[in-house]
Amino acid sequence: MTASNSRPLESVASRPALHRDALRTALSDRAPFLVACAMALVLIAIYGSLREGVFTLEEINLDTAAAMTLILAATGQTIVLLRGGIDLSIGGVISFGTVLAATKFGDDPARTALWSVLIGLIGFGVGAINGLLITVLKLQPFLVTLATWSIVSGAALLVLPTDGGSLPSTWMAFGTASILGLSTSVWLLVLLCGFWLWFRRTRLGISIRATGSNERSVLLSGVSPLSINVATFGLSGLFAALAALYLTTQTGAGSPTIGKDYILPSVAAAVIGGISLFGGRGGLIGTIIGAFILTIIGNLVFVLSVSSYWQPIVSGVILLVSVLASSIAETSARRSLS
Amino acid sequence: MPNIQRHRAILLAYLGMIVLLLLTSLVSPGFLAAAHLRSTAVLAAFIGIVALGQTFVIIGGGIDLSVPWVLNAAAVLVTMIARGQNEPLLWAVPLILAAGALVGTVNGLGIAVFGVPPIIMTLAVNVILQGGILVYTGGAPTASAPPAIQFLAVGRIGPLPVVLGIWIVLAVAASILLSKTAFGRYLYAVGTSRTVAEFSGVPTLRTTVLAFTLSGFSAALAGILLTGYSAQAYLGMGDPYLFTSIAAVAIGGASILGGSGHYIGTVAGALVLTILTGLLPALNLSNGALLIVYGAVILVTVSLASETMSDILSILRRPVRSGAGKVRGGEPT
Amino acid sequence: MDVLQAVNITKRYGGITALSDGNFHARAGEVHALLGENGAGKSTFIQILAGAVRPDSGNITIDGAPYRASNTREAQAAGIGAVFQELSLIPDLTVEENIWFRCEPLSSIGTVKAAAMRAATRDLLARYRFPELRVDQELRRLTLADRQLVEIAKALARSPSILILDEATSALASSETEWLLGLAKRLAGDGALVIYISHRLGEVRRIADRVTVFRNGSSVSAYDTAKVDDETIIADMLGRRMDRLYPVRRSTATERVALRVRDLGVHHRLTGVNLDLREGEVLGVAALQGHGQRELFQALFGVSRSQGRVELWGRAMTLRSPRDALAGKAGIALVPEDRRNHGLLISKSVRENLTLSIIARFTRFGFTDAGRERALVAEMVNFLRIKATAEQPVGTLSGGNQQKVIFGKMLLTEARVLLLYDPARGIDVGTKGEIFQLMRDLAAKGYAILFYSSDLAEIVHVADRVAVLRNGRVAAVLDGDGVTERDILRAAMIEREAA
Repeated sequence: MTASNSRPLESVASRPALHRDALRTALSDRAPFLVACAMALVLIAIYGSLREGVFTLEEINLDTAAAMTLILAATGQTIVLLRGGIDLSIGGVISFGTVLAATKFGDDPARTALWSVLIGLIGFGVGAINGLLITVLKLQPFLVTLATWSIVSGAALLVLPTDGGSLPSTWMAFGTASILGLSTSVWLLVLLCGFWLWFRRTRLGISIRATGSNERSVLLSGVSPLSINVATFGLSGLFAALAALYLTTQTGAGSPTIGKDYILPSVAAAVIGGISLFGGRGGLIGTIIGAFILTIIGNLVFVLSVSSYWQPIVSGVILLVSVLASSIAETSARRSLS
Repeated sequence: MPNIQRHRAILLAYLGMIVLLLLTSLVSPGFLAAAHLRSTAVLAAFIGIVALGQTFVIIGGGIDLSVPWVLNAAAVLVTMIARGQNEPLLWAVPLILAAGALVGTVNGLGIAVFGVPPIIMTLAVNVILQGGILVYTGGAPTASAPPAIQFLAVGRIGPLPVVLGIWIVLAVAASILLSKTAFGRYLYAVGTSRTVAEFSGVPTLRTTVLAFTLSGFSAALAGILLTGYSAQAYLGMGDPYLFTSIAAVAIGGASILGGSGHYIGTVAGALVLTILTGLLPALNLSNGALLIVYGAVILVTVSLASETMSDILSILRRPVRSGAGKVRGGEPT
Repeated sequence: MDVLQAVNITKRYGGITALSDGNFHARAGEVHALLGENGAGKSTFIQILAGAVRPDSGNITIDGAPYRASNTREAQAAGIGAVFQELSLIPDLTVEENIWFRCEPLSSIGTVKAAAMRAATRDLLARYRFPELRVDQELRRLTLADRQLVEIAKALARSPSILILDEATSALASSETEWLLGLAKRLAGDGALVIYISHRLGEVRRIADRVTVFRNGSSVSAYDTAKVDDETIIADMLGRRMDRLYPVRRSTATERVALRVRDLGVHHRLTGVNLDLREGEVLGVAALQGHGQRELFQALFGVSRSQGRVELWGRAMTLRSPRDALAGKAGIALVPEDRRNHGLLISKSVRENLTLSIIARFTRFGFTDAGRERALVAEMVNFLRIKATAEQPVGTLSGGNQQKVIFGKMLLTEARVLLLYDPARGIDVGTKGEIFQLMRDLAAKGYAILFYSSDLAEIVHVADRVAVLRNGRVAAVLDGDGVTERDILRAAMIEREAA
C-alpha cells in the first residue's frame, strides 16, 4: 500500500487511502448483486435476440405473472435469511394455502375475503410458532422448519388428498386483469417493492438485519430475541400464504404438494440476488432479480427449443456462479481490510 | 455418569423405537410377526443407507441436499447401462458408485475450498444432476433392473434379506469408521469447532471432503439397490429421501450443528420412521397424518435432546445446588 | 457530591472471581481514570456499569438512586454511555444506522427519517468536532480506528451524563487521540463524568482529575492525579506478590538456536521482528494490549499470514497452517489465548482432546489403538496431575485443569518449540505455580519456550530474557537477570522521543 507501512498502527487509520478505495469497496460490497444484474441483463439480451416481442408490455406482464409466486415466497425467505436463518416450512404453508383456498372459497365474495384473511393469518401463525420454538427451545431454524413443513404439508393432504378443488371465477380473473396495460401481477410487484422500501427502513426491518449481522450486539441493546424471531418467521409464513393465494389465481386449483417446489428455489432466488446465507446482507430487489433470472431461464430453454430439462441444469450453474462470485468478493474484501 | 449423559440422545431414539414397536403391536397384533418385522427392516435399510452418508456430513457440521438426485442418477444409470442384464453390472456398479463418490467430492471441495455454504453447494449440484438425468433419459427411463440387483434388494440368504445384510455390514463399517479411526475423530472435531480442529493440526479440508464423498457413495448405493426393490428406476424416486435421511439423523440424536451423534443413532432413526410409516395405515390414517406425525416426532426428539431441555432436566434433578459445574458461560475478559 | 457510587461489587464466572468488592466513587464534572493490569477487574467493572454484565452482589447508585441495568439500553436510560474495546457495533449497518440503532428518528409511517438522521449525525459529529467519517458507509468497510470513532459517536448520541471510555485511544492515530483527550476534558467541563480507562499513563496524567487503581479484582486505591506520582501508581498496579508462586530460575539455555525469526511482518500489525529462541530457553514476550503479541504468536503457529523468514532448528519453514507448525517431530506447538474457542473441544472428553493432534500417529491397520491411547492419556493425566477422569467432558473441568489438558495435548505432539500465550491467565494460584514449574522443567529438558503473559510479574520471574513489543516492533530485549516489571512497563509504555 502506502509508505505508511513502516508505522503499522498509524497506517490503519490513514485516511486518503480510504477515499481512493471507496469506489472499489462499494463495488465489491455489492458484487453479488451486481453479478445478478449482469446475469439478468445477459439472459434478457439472449432472450431478446432469439425471439420477437420480448421488449413489450405483454411479455413483461407474462413474465411477471410467471415469476410472482416465487417472488412472494422468496420475499419471506429473504427476510428469514437476513435474520440469519432459513425457512423450509413455507413449502407446507403454500400447499396448505392453496388447498384451503380451493376448498373453502365457494362463490360468496365475503367468504372468499374472509378465508383469504384467514389463510394469511394461518401463514403468519405457522411462522410465529417457528419463531417461538427456535427462541424458547434454542433449536436450529433448519430442523424446526423441516418439522413444521412436514406437519403443515400433512394438514394440506388431510384437507385435500389430491390436486383439485375450484376457485371462484372472479378470483381467477384477478390474475388476468390489467390496469393501464399492466397486469395485476405487475402492480403487485410494484406494491411489493413499495412494501420493501418501507419495511427496510422501519425499526423492525433494521433490527432483523442487525440480528443477522451481529446477534449479540442486538441482544445487548435490549431487543427481545423472541419478538425478532416471531416477527421474522411470522412474516415469512405470511408471504408464503400470499404466494399460495396468488398461485391459485394462476392455477385455479389447490395442490397439497405444490409447495415443495418453492422451498429451495426461494432460497436460490435470494442467494442469486446477493443475500448472504450468513445473515445481515442483501435486499429484496436482488431476490426479485434472482427470481426473474430463474424464470427467464425457463423461457430461454423454451425458445431455444431444447429439452425443458436443461432448465434445472442452467439454474444450478447460475446458482453456483453467483455464490462463488460472492464468496470470492468476500474473501478479497476481507483480505484488503485485515 | 457422563457417558449416559453423552449418549442420552441415542438412547432416547432407541427408547422411542421400542415404545413405537409396542404401540404398534397393540394396534395391529400381526406387526411383531417375523415376516412383518423383516419387511419393515428392509424398508428401513434403504433409508438407513442414504442416511449413512448424511450422518457423516451432519456430524462434520454440514448438510447434503444433493442426496435425492445422486440416488436417482445412480438408479437410472444402472438400469440404463445394464438393460436388464447381469453382466454389465460388474463394471457398471463400481463405476456408478465411484461417480456418486465423485459428486460428493465435488460438493466437499466447493464447501471446504471455496467456502460455499453446504446448503447452496449441494442444492445446486442436486438440480444440475436432476437436469442432467432428465436430459439423458428424455424424461422416461425405460429399462428394468437386472436380476442380480433385484436379488440384492428383495432376495434372501436363509432368513436374512440380502439388503438387510448389506445394511448391517455398512452399519458396522460406519460405526468403526466413526469410533475407531483418526478420520472419525477428526470428523467430530471439525463438526464441533472447525477453528479448534484447525489449531490442533487436524486436516480439516480432507475431512470435510471425505464426509461428502461418503455421502455421495452411500446415496448412489441406495439408488442402485432401490432399483432392485421397485424392479425399475423412475424419476423422482430419490425425492422422499432428502427428508427421511435428515430426519433419521436428527431423530437419531445428532445435532444439526455438527460434532455429535452416531450412526448407531441414525439406525434407530431410520427404524422409527419406517415403523411409523407402517403403523399409520394400520390405524387407518392417511398419508397426510403420516407427515404430521413425522414432523411431530422430529420436533419432540430434537426438543428432548436440546440444551434447554437438558437444563430443565438438570434443574429438576438438582433443585438445591445452583450454578456449579455449569459448562456454558463466558470467562472474564 | 459523588454522582456515581459503587460499593462492594462482586462478579464470578464459574470458579473464577473476576471482581471482588469493587468500590468506586466519582464526581460529576471530572475525568476519572481507572487503572490496572489486564485482568485486574476493571473491564468487568465497567461492563457491569454499562449493563453488559450483571453483578453477583453489591450496590451501585447514580445521583443517590439505586442503579441496576440488564442491558445497554437500560444503562443508557440511566445516563450511562460506554465505549468498549470489544465493539458493540453491527457490521452490516451503516455508520449512521449504528449510531442511532433503536433510537432512530421515525416518521409517521414508522420508517426512519433518513434526512433527519443524516442531519442529526452531521450535527453530532460537528458538535463534538469528530474527525472526518463517511456516515453512509457500512461499518464493516471501516478501519478499526474509524469504528472506534463510530462507537464513540454512538455513545455521545444518547447524551450520557456518565461516559465510559475503555482503551478508546488504543486504535486511534495520534491526532485522533488528541481530539479524544480534548473531548473528554470538554465533556467533564460541561458537567459530565468521564470514566477513562487506559494503559497510557501519559494520557491519564494529562486529562484525569482523579485515578482509581484496580488490582486482582479489587479496587486498591484512589488519588487526585495532581498529588500522586507515576511510581506510586505503578506500584499500586503491581502490588506485592507471592514470590513463592514462581520456581527457581536457573538458565538452561544452550547456544543452539531452536527458532530463528527474521524480519517477520504481519499486515499492519507486526513489522521487522527479529528473535532468536534458544534450546532450553524461556523467552518472555511483554507488551501492552494490542501491540502485536497476538499476531506474533499466530504467525509463528501458521494461523496468520506473515512475511519474513522463520527457521526451526536451522531449517527454513513455510508456515501456512498449524499443520505445518506441528508437522513431524520437534515442531512448534501453541497454547492459545482463547481456551474455549481455539484450544479445546469443550463438549468432548479429556481423552479426545488430549489425543486430537496425534491420533493419526498411533493407528494400527488404520484403527486407533485404544489401548495405547488410554495409556498415553493416563500417563499425561498423571504427569500433569489433571484432576479429572479421561472420559469427562473438558467443559466440566476448572480453568486450571482445562489449561493442563491443553498443555498435555501440546506435549503429546512432541513439538520442541512451545508457544505459550498467557498460559496462566484466569486460573487458580496453585495451578499457576505448577504451570511455571513445568515450564522451567521443560526448558531444562531442552524445550524452547516463547512465553507471553499479560502479567508482567510472571515474565519477570519465569523468563530468561524478555522481548518487549511496542507498536508491532521489538522495542527492547532485556536480560532476565535483574529485570523488573518497572523496566518492562517503561519500555512498553513510553514512546521514544524520536518518531
